Amino acid sequence: MPQMGVSVAEGTVVEWRKRVGDWVEADEAIVDISTDKIDSEVPSPAAGRLVEILVEPGVTVDVGTPLARLDTGARPGEPHTDEHAPATRTAGAQPSGAEAPPPGPGAGDAHAPPVSPVVRRIAAEHGIDLSQIEGTGRLGRVTKRDVLAFLARPGEGAAAPPQAPLHTESPYREEPQPTDAAGPPSGEPLSIMRRQIGEHMRRSLDTAAHCTTIVEADMSRIEAARRAGGKRLTYLPFVARAAIAALREYPTLNATLEGDRLTVHEAVHLGIAVSLGEDGLIVPVVRDAHELSHEGLAARIEDLAERARERRLRPDEVRGGTFTITNPGAYGALLATPIINQPQVAILDLEAVVRRPVAVDGDSIAVRPMTYLCMSWDHRALDGALAAQFLSAVRRHIEEWSG
Amino acid sequence: MPEMTYLQAISDGLREEMRHDETVFCLGEDIGAFGGAFKITEGFIDEFGPDRVWDAPLAENAIIGAAVGAAVEGMRPVCEMQFADFVACGFDQLVNVAAKMHYRQGLAVPMTVRLPSGGGFSGGPFHSQNPEAWFVQAPGLKVVAPSTPADAKGLLAAAIRDPNPVVYLEHKHLYRRARGEVAEGRYEIPLGRARVAREGSELTVVSYGAMVHIALEATDDLDGASVEVLDLRSLVPLDREAILASARKTSKVVVLHEATRSCGVGAEVAALIAQEAFEDLDGPVVRVTAPDCPTPFSPPLERAVLPQVDDVRRACLELLAY
Repeated sequence: MPQMGVSVAEGTVVEWRKRVGDWVEADEAIVDISTDKIDSEVPSPAAGRLVEILVEPGVTVDVGTPLARLDTGARPGEPHTDEHAPATRTAGAQPSGAEAPPPGPGAGDAHAPPVSPVVRRIAAEHGIDLSQIEGTGRLGRVTKRDVLAFLARPGEGAAAPPQAPLHTESPYREEPQPTDAAGPPSGEPLSIMRRQIGEHMRRSLDTAAHCTTIVEADMSRIEAARRAGGKRLTYLPFVARAAIAALREYPTLNATLEGDRLTVHEAVHLGIAVSLGEDGLIVPVVRDAHELSHEGLAARIEDLAERARERRLRPDEVRGGTFTITNPGAYGALLATPIINQPQVAILDLEAVVRRPVAVDGDSIAVRPMTYLCMSWDHRALDGALAAQFLSAVRRHIEEWSG
Repeated sequence: MPEMTYLQAISDGLREEMRHDETVFCLGEDIGAFGGAFKITEGFIDEFGPDRVWDAPLAENAIIGAAVGAAVEGMRPVCEMQFADFVACGFDQLVNVAAKMHYRQGLAVPMTVRLPSGGGFSGGPFHSQNPEAWFVQAPGLKVVAPSTPADAKGLLAAAIRDPNPVVYLEHKHLYRRARGEVAEGRYEIPLGRARVAREGSELTVVSYGAMVHIALEATDDLDGASVEVLDLRSLVPLDREAILASARKTSKVVVLHEATRSCGVGAEVAALIAQEAFEDLDGPVVRVTAPDCPTPFSPPLERAVLPQVDDVRRACLELLAY
């Protein structure tokens, strides 16, 4: 299990990309692992043949634990060795358990004819060991027809993908399959990410004494500032900047509570919830957010969100937050009661900005862009008065925004 | 629908376009009073008069050059080369002037050059050539090569209506041999769309022109193998998507043409498949073409040079067994 980040101590095998007997190139992705909420692909430390898988999918092991053994003495062209035959040499990074006898005479002498690109691709897609198939092509080559016939055998669950029909007036373009808006079909197991989100949320609700406080804020000046800037920013970096300023005034909310120990942090490491669509949600952290302007925050948030959606965050980038902002307002919701991101003590929810008539300057009525700032906080760490004071400070920074 | 020969379909298509559009006119050697060497324009001079059916001098450069000028002025000329081979004399006007006019001056050149092409009748080296590759390599020209009467009429209409100079290869061998139903009136087969002449799943033969019929005959019964025949119809623009879709489906491709091999259309198709569909191939892309030599007069030698049904059968069986 490689060290995926300085603060990562263990990881879970999600899926092996290779099967025992497969040839692996150096730096080719060999296994997917999950640390906390980040899934990463692990490159092979060396070229060779995968001899043994030591950690099955779903199992969590400490950093440094061997995941598999690789025979670096094998050659790519030879037929697969017996799946249970131990290797002769193993890669340094993944130490061998036992020394193995050399392969018997002839193992690797038999030169099967090369397979074509399409045969190799189909075999890889269906995890087929081509040595099981008797080739009918020239010099015993395994042809595409041979692989498809092998796949179509009764009991071979995976059938060949259906051929797209070709219209007589080509080019034929197949209509995309309609996506099922209701989510995955019933009976599918939850993804690892969904399970982890579920556990995390349940644990937070079981741990913290949740309470939600709401204030209303007039976003007129933010809206003006958004318009004035060269690059059109969202509301989020402005609200984040206002929240950070309020956290400097009320540092008790920039804290973590573990057991009965409350740690108030000097630096603001700001978590930003990023939706990954139907897959779930991830909260990358803007480190030292208090040092950044709203433009700086906007750039960092954009970068983190983009990499989150591309699944390219490093494990360190989703850890160590001291306060979190969630912002599902783009979908029009007015109010929400978010769940605190443990072990933090508060989470601020920015919902939709809506134009509403409000009383201004005494008895006048004006239409203003308004929003609700909803904050869930942990009653173990603070009380409602402080939450309200903090939220009022956020509102003040928003309504008196001066860039 | 009436049945027509390939020749009648070309004639019909040309006549329909001339009746419908007064800017369409024909010019070429002996196309007026004589009705053309192959009688494509027989009777045209009576219906349309000598102003729209010009008997030109034996000067292909003048025929194509006059057409370029007329096209730039808004006419839609249709030039007939008596044999495709003779287009070499008009090469400069076609390849240097017509093809680059829009690039250089932004002017449309809506002209069509008809090339009676191909061998198989002991016509020898000056009357049997398939010069499509010359024009495929000249950006600015479109190139079509129909194989059926219906396509011959529809592609001629599309060629005449297209704003670019179009080289229209009509295979002489098909003139009176290819028959088929052809819709009456005006219709158009869009340029750049291939046609699946026969669907199949185990091997594709990509071809065009007269060789489509050879491909169909050769693969009609190949020990039960399911062979797709793709008729390109247009060589420029080339229907890359149709070629790749078929290659991805069958994983084995033979490219067949009557023209010589090196740097021919088959080379382009094979390279396209190698580059874009490599992961779907189950064998080498095989070319069946004439060798790089002139077409002989001698009937047995000509048969040895031009791809025959048995050559195609053998190539397909070898690739199927690969």
